[in-house]
Amino acid sequence: MTEPRQQSSTELSEAEAIERAKLGDAEAFQVLYDKHKRRVYSLCLRMTANTAEAEDLAQEAFLQLYRKIATFRGESAFSTWLHRLSVNVVLMHLRKKNLPVVSLEETTQGADEDSPRKDFGADDVALAGSIDRLQLQRAVDSLPPGYRTIFVLHDIEGYEHNEIAKIAGCSIGNSKSQLHKARMKLRDLLKMNRAEKATRSRVG
Amino acid sequence: MTCVELQQSLAEVEDGSSPEQRAHLLGCPACMLLVKELDLIIAAAGQLQSADEPSPRVWNSIALSLREEGLIRPQRRLPVSSFGTRWGVARWLVPVAAMLLLSVGIYVRRETPSRPIFSQASVAPSATTSDMNDEDLIQEMAANTPAMKTQYQDSLRRVNESIREAQGVLDENPNDEDARRFLMNAYEQKSMLFQMAMDHSLP
Repeated sequence: MTEPRQQSSTELSEAEAIERAKLGDAEAFQVLYDKHKRRVYSLCLRMTANTAEAEDLAQEAFLQLYRKIATFRGESAFSTWLHRLSVNVVLMHLRKKNLPVVSLEETTQGADEDSPRKDFGADDVALAGSIDRLQLQRAVDSLPPGYRTIFVLHDIEGYEHNEIAKIAGCSIGNSKSQLHKARMKLRDLLKMNRAEKATRSRVG
Repeated sequence: MTCVELQQSLAEVEDGSSPEQRAHLLGCPACMLLVKELDLIIAAAGQLQSADEPSPRVWNSIALSLREEGLIRPQRRLPVSSFGTRWGVARWLVPVAAMLLLSVGIYVRRETPSRPIFSQASVAPSATTSDMNDEDLIQEMAANTPAMKTQYQDSLRRVNESIREAQGVLDENPNDEDARRFLMNAYEQKSMLFQMAMDHSLP
């Protein structure tokens, strides 16, 4: 029953939808939402690891977008503009909750869990083959918020370290260091997960 | 380079391609495995972009907020009973919106005295006369920016429908403050359209 509306929505190009949205066209708002909802929502979900929060933040990001859309002049890509805005919405939320956007290097460098380990190549479960999306998703959700932010921005969303430094208010070196620690932590989590699975299958 | 130094250096050169790293990796299978596994994680991370779909609740809440904030037009016929009373203060804005529209018309006439784009009547709050004069505007738009013609036609049609609906409700109940507000909003949108058209039409 909704097919005719969907059809006309897909016919509307992004540029047309933006111009119509500036005039308050409801359908144009929905076209823009449909086109970008997955990426915005996934970003929010990865950074918060909480479905309800992610939905609220995605909603807030789109509302801010629509309120500001009249000021969009097309100097930058619309998607870049929207995703930067979404990142800011999430970071603002994390700051309000007093969650670290990035971990402070000084406080983590000496910590046991972050120090370089000598057993990282020990003969344990190897991450051979491909990594299952769901497995990785769970592991990312388990990361401490500071690590998670950098990993999501760099490895998932494709931001460069200099951009992350500006967005998150940290140094480029800190961004690199946090990313490396996040990946090492993910590797541990994925290995633990595989080891548990292997144990369960042996017991079962 | 030791294993620990290799691990630390991966923060700067993550693929292990520096000469020092390569020299160490050649003789250290454990570190080689570490680099391969980190590569695997990096490659898999891309799968998580746009991986999840928000529930319909998100769009419903957005649409509701947009309507409450007056950012979008209602698309269905105005339900008289659903109007609240919180917009009563908007009554005085109707003549203001009409004046705004009128001044747009006067401005355009002054700018193009030999060939008026649309008359003052086209911007007065009368839905029956506005259609004809809108056609003049569309023709003018088509002459100057043909690519925009369909878009303007569609937008004008929608805004005129909104004006007619709101006017109909007001005719039935002249004291309906929300219908008055809705009418004012519709005129504001029409004013915006004429303003945009003027920007395209005027030399």
